[in-house]
Amino acid sequence: MGALPSSNRISAHDRAVLNLKVQRDKLKIYQKKISVILEAEHSAAKALLAKGDKPRALLALRRRKYQSTLLSQTDKQLETLEALTSSIEFALIEKDVLYGLKQGNEVLKQIHKEMTVESVERLMEDTAEGIRYQKEISDMLAGVMTNADEDEVEEELAAMEREVNGVPPEVVLPAIPSAPQTALGPSEEGEKALRAKERARARKAALERAVEEEPQPIAA
Amino acid sequence: MSSIFGNNILGNNATLVGSSSSTAPSIFPPLYDFPPFFTRYPNASTWTAQRAAWSSLILAYCKAHKLWQLHLSDALETELFHNAALGRRLKHQDAVEVLEFMAKEGQVDWIDESNKTGVNVWWKKPEEWGSVIFDWIDSTGQKGSVLTLYEIAHGDLTTAQEFHGMEEGMLKKALGVLVKRGSAQIFGSGEEMGVKFF
Repeated sequence: MGALPSSNRISAHDRAVLNLKVQRDKLKIYQKKISVILEAEHSAAKALLAKGDKPRALLALRRRKYQSTLLSQTDKQLETLEALTSSIEFALIEKDVLYGLKQGNEVLKQIHKEMTVESVERLMEDTAEGIRYQKEISDMLAGVMTNADEDEVEEELAAMEREVNGVPPEVVLPAIPSAPQTALGPSEEGEKALRAKERARARKAALERAVEEEPQPIAA
Repeated sequence: MSSIFGNNILGNNATLVGSSSSTAPSIFPPLYDFPPFFTRYPNASTWTAQRAAWSSLILAYCKAHKLWQLHLSDALETELFHNAALGRRLKHQDAVEVLEFMAKEGQVDWIDESNKTGVNVWWKKPEEWGSVIFDWIDSTGQKGSVLTLYEIAHGDLTTAQEFHGMEEGMLKKALGVLVKRGSAQIFGSGEEMGVKFF
């Protein structure tokens, strides 16, 4: 088939669809022909009846009836043909969709290949290692500092916080008129020492807590 | 050139004024009601202008009546070449000469080159028809599908299209333009020709 040098752009599917469509066209042409015959028989019957030739008018009408059954049969055939044609066209589209899905799947697989479970585990281990190392360094630094140093650092932080929050660093109250300087409560000095002791205790507790909570390396 | 068929009188028939006889807008130019229009002028330049007037009348007439072909012997009897009100007609020989001139311009082509009995009338050039068909294919989402030639020219889907009823040989020529442009592929043979659009 194919008298013309048709290129490879025409597939076997296209030829099949063309064949179906050609058949459909032939049926349509046939229907046109039958419609003309129907019309002719109708007017023939009318003319015969006018002439008083009843039997032949009846014959013409019978022929007409026969042709009209043919017409309805071709209608059914046409329907079948068109259904087949459109299901082929739809199947071709489905094929394209499937191809698209396949392509997408390939890409997804490729990406997954570059992202294996082992490499993720290794990465997570490395991260844990880094965190542990960082912690060691801070612990060492903390160990180097004395409690007094630590206190000073924290005092500085508190002062900074006050500044940031807009609280004046020291509320300078007007001097209170002299009152008997008997030490009733803990003296200012004593209070300061107490605060330092409390802080030292809190730091120790925090350190212990941190050791307990130290991230466990993920089991390989 | 001071002839009665000079451009100032004829124009290029770009505007076709209604003729006196009919109420519906007619495609006939005022010249159609001018008896000498139907007689060939001996003067060459006048004849050139007359011929040009005839060719635009023929194209306009065929377009208005959706005539794809003119068969000379029949056409000479129609109102196109025969003004019954005036009792004037164009002679066969002169009509052939007009059509030969049009063939040179690519407005018509002879169905049978040797006998010159009729022409295909291209009131749109094959390239234009190609574009019209392709635009229709594109706008109806039929790219990539297979259509029969019968379907394009006589199918139910194209009844509203300008190319509906197109003569098969002409349709093939118009589609040939699309094939050259690479936007269509004709395949199959004989009666069972189909075309796929890209």
